[in-house]
Amino acid sequence: MPEYAIETENLTKVFRTRWPRRELTAVDNISLRVPVGSTYGLLGPNGAGKTTFVKMLLSASHPTAGRAIVFGRDSREPGARAPIGYLPENHRFPTYMTGWDMLDFYGALSGMGASERRARIPGLLSQVGLDERAHHLRLGKYSKGMLQRVGLAQALMHTPRLLVLDEPSDGVDPVGRRQIRDVLHALEQKGVTIFLNSHLLAEVELFCREVAIIQKGKLALSGTVLELTSGSGYRLEISGASETLETELRGRARTAGAANGMLQLLFASREEANQALDLARANHCEIETFGRTRSTLEEVFMKTVEGE
Amino acid sequence: MSPRLIPMLALVKDTFREAFARKIFWGFAGCCTALLAFLVFIMRIDVVAGALATITIFGRAMPTTDVQGLVQQTQSVIAMSMYFFGMALSVFASAGLVAAVFEPGRIELLLSKPVSRTQILLGRYIGNLAVVAANILYLTFGSWIIFGIKTGLWGGGYLLSSLFTIFVFGVLLAVIVLIGVLWESAAVAIMATFGIMIVTPILAQRATIERLLSADWSRDLVTVFYYILPKTSDISVIIRHLILNEPVDSWMPVWSTALFGAVVLAAGILHFRRRSF
Repeated sequence: MPEYAIETENLTKVFRTRWPRRELTAVDNISLRVPVGSTYGLLGPNGAGKTTFVKMLLSASHPTAGRAIVFGRDSREPGARAPIGYLPENHRFPTYMTGWDMLDFYGALSGMGASERRARIPGLLSQVGLDERAHHLRLGKYSKGMLQRVGLAQALMHTPRLLVLDEPSDGVDPVGRRQIRDVLHALEQKGVTIFLNSHLLAEVELFCREVAIIQKGKLALSGTVLELTSGSGYRLEISGASETLETELRGRARTAGAANGMLQLLFASREEANQALDLARANHCEIETFGRTRSTLEEVFMKTVEGE
Repeated sequence: MSPRLIPMLALVKDTFREAFARKIFWGFAGCCTALLAFLVFIMRIDVVAGALATITIFGRAMPTTDVQGLVQQTQSVIAMSMYFFGMALSVFASAGLVAAVFEPGRIELLLSKPVSRTQILLGRYIGNLAVVAANILYLTFGSWIIFGIKTGLWGGGYLLSSLFTIFVFGVLLAVIVLIGVLWESAAVAIMATFGIMIVTPILAQRATIERLLSADWSRDLVTVFYYILPKTSDISVIIRHLILNEPVDSWMPVWSTALFGAVVLAAGILHFRRRSF
């Protein structure tokens, strides 16, 4: 059993036009590893190269250099794509099909037999929140949210081990988003690797354990959400400090402020924060909060993107 | 069923479903049914002791020849109509069916499945060919049975002619596929295929053209184009010979056209395998 669901080695894609002769490097030498069973988010501003990266994973686009490996096999081999379930962003599902037909068609393309498909379709459509009426309704009559749901069902049809989702909750109402998240959580519990490409940073922060940020085709940052959002300092909030103590603590802190009768202090190291805490306790102050500072994923993202 | 066949059959079935939804299949089937109804109800042939007594169309008696000649001529007219007009309609309808596969948002999902690109393209090609073939066979078999019942003549040449029509459509479909893969444009595919359908009958008259050309290189050019391109006009002559039970002079137009189709289809598959979407 391979250790990584996705492994890319110096993956590069250069688009070339013959006339006028131009080159655009959409993905530049990206090496990434997504462990089996993880929930991984791919972030980046528009035009950063995320979609091209995903297309190369699925072999819809051929790399100029490097390679993409899925569960130990080069994704260009058709068999390597068997464990992948994919929901594209700007999908164009055949409008002449019903929800049932669509699952039947894509299930067959994944090599599922007719009886297996018939047995799986009703439960799957219900699981993504599509009622029985929708099963036999043409996709042309579906709303955007319904199309996302049936698209997700399509991706799950052959019980994949890796789900690649491009903006899965795009156009879905808050209730639907919650349903989709619940489906994804259940899959995560079963050990399915989920690779999420989304602009909704809060959604990624809520769901993914690891993220990578792509900027101008290059891998700008990667790591666990916990690591990336944990700040470098420590926060201490106290109340009931005397003027002398406040002056003393302000002198030791990197930054200090006061609000709602509380003294708010930020320290650069754990040692400094602990010394300040001991001092406050010795002076019978009330400790309101003490802990490591944290940033949101959005702050990390903006810092990374604007820092380029 | 072999697991390798499941995706292929799904792709063929999907092409049929799309042809149904776009009313292409029903449009063809409607035209064929109307022609069959004409043969059943409007054209009355009275045969007395193996010789033709009268032929009546819209209640009017027509001048008659022998029964076999009449049937073969009528079959020949139907086969030629199907060959030229039916072919033009089929090209027009199929160009959209092929180009639709390459639409962004659809092709990526197809390519993400554990199916080779060759299978995807061949599945669409076979499906499209099957849609047109089903209608050609429906019209040919239907009219063959009607003529057989009305006249007692069951010659096989007419049935065989339908296979040649399907074959030529298969070659033109290869052109549509190649252009679809190269430019994803139904309009360009239609123009190129119609171009072939217009140019090849002209090239078939190469003996006359060569007499009109003074330069050697221009005569050579005409000959090269004649041998490279499919010989739709020459094959229509072969079809006529088959229906009229006449000997066929040369089968070269058939095998050279088959070679053209195979090369063009292979080029389409090769380019599709290399393309990034």
